[in-house]
Amino acid sequence: MSDTKRILVIDDDADFTESVRSLLEAEGYEVFTAASGTAGLRQLAGVKPHAILLDVMMESSTEGYGVSDAIKHHDEYAAYRDVPVLMVSSIQESPDERFPRAPETDLIRPDRYFTKPLDIPKFLEVLARVTHRR
Amino acid sequence: MTEDAAETIVVVDDDYAMRLSCERILSKTGFAVHTFEDGARGLAAVADLRPALVLVDLKMPGLSGMEVIPRIREIDPTAVIVVITGYATIGTAVDAMKAGAYDFLPKPFSPDELRLIVRRGLERRRLELDSRQCEIERELMKRRFVSFVSHQLKTPLVAVHQYLEVLDRLGDTPDMSVKAREWIGRCLARTDEMRQLIDDWLTLSRIEGGSLGRQRADADLHDTLTHLIESYRPAAGERRITLALDAATPLPVHADPTCLAVLFDNLIGNAVKYNRDGGAVEVVAERSEGEILVTVRDTGVGIPADAMPFLFEEFYRVPREGAPVPGTGLGLPIARRIALELGGTITVESTAGEGTTFQVRLPRHLDEPAPGEEVP
Repeated sequence: MSDTKRILVIDDDADFTESVRSLLEAEGYEVFTAASGTAGLRQLAGVKPHAILLDVMMESSTEGYGVSDAIKHHDEYAAYRDVPVLMVSSIQESPDERFPRAPETDLIRPDRYFTKPLDIPKFLEVLARVTHRR
Repeated sequence: MTEDAAETIVVVDDDYAMRLSCERILSKTGFAVHTFEDGARGLAAVADLRPALVLVDLKMPGLSGMEVIPRIREIDPTAVIVVITGYATIGTAVDAMKAGAYDFLPKPFSPDELRLIVRRGLERRRLELDSRQCEIERELMKRRFVSFVSHQLKTPLVAVHQYLEVLDRLGDTPDMSVKAREWIGRCLARTDEMRQLIDDWLTLSRIEGGSLGRQRADADLHDTLTHLIESYRPAAGERRITLALDAATPLPVHADPTCLAVLFDNLIGNAVKYNRDGGAVEVVAERSEGEILVTVRDTGVGIPADAMPFLFEEFYRVPREGAPVPGTGLGLPIARRIALELGGTITVESTAGEGTTFQVRLPRHLDEPAPGEEVP
């Protein structure tokens, strides 16, 4: 099926990616996973994802923000600038709370922010919307 | 803020000569001085200029000094208020202080007296601001740490929850029954991880809070180490790792037995866990110079030099290639905490790829000369 949407899941928790993979595959997505921010960025060109699910706290507690910043602003990844990034973390906070006065807050604000565990119906609905399946 | 020159002072006094002399004296000293002839204007200026210090005359037409003081405090609690008055009595001084004034300057006063009292007031404000800033930073750090700890505690819980929820959703599809088996195993591993995390966290909190480690008893470290080594034999055997203990006897210590066991359990546990199959763990315990010196040496994966500074930090895990090694990131912080609590030290040396050596020094208990003490 040529219009299968590809999702890149960047998360260092192998169990989280495993369950998300099954969930998304059952929904008809093709799922790729990366266990770190750098591995995720490396995979962009090969995968050409329609959406990215990105964990905030990996090796460092803000690694995910570095990744979303790279995707949105580094020339190297210019081809993927418009790929929707869905951020996930088990801490209930938005980037604004983490960087209260930083002018960069806007630059690194992801398209959507989810907390773990995912609210599955809402997550699937948003994912379908941003990948234009619905 | 650190230079007098940068600071703003507001003077509120209905007496023109008074305003003029205050302005002259303080401007010459380098302050930015603004003067006002009544309380209402003075308050508006305080709100507008945010002065570091306000000189207030007590007896003015309109709003009196006594009425102005609490309102300045309301606008800016960090502003220092110094009261000026011609009828200085103990009574009015006390009243003004109660209302929130910092000090009291009776008329007439010399330029030096004015400068001195202003400097003293500003110095106090600086100290107060500094300590307030420290408090804010401490509070912020505490909040960040709490948020980080809850993240660590939530991670395994979230993974388990997510498995269960996806299973619940996809439960009837054919390939899910195979997955379900595997996922149950993974969920069990994560709940174990979570239990371990909570146990370790509690241990660490108890040591830090002082409820663990205070119940000291005479113990022989030789026995503690022997028991621990024996307890690791099965796990080590599975991976053909040899365990060797060379401990002098007795090794008298005066310590909480639980803490002592936890300290070396963490070190020996790591030496086994981060070893290679067929590797070796060597524990040497000896008496030296009023101390007991325990060396735990392994032939494992070692620790890269850039990871060394973080080794004893809570939740830090050395980044590793390949399958994740279970662990909480609290073992070494606990070990270090205990060593310190017992009056000892812990140090580490490592070569990546070759192995790691931890060394613990504990004070030797010298109450009674142990039999055979002089015999090596």
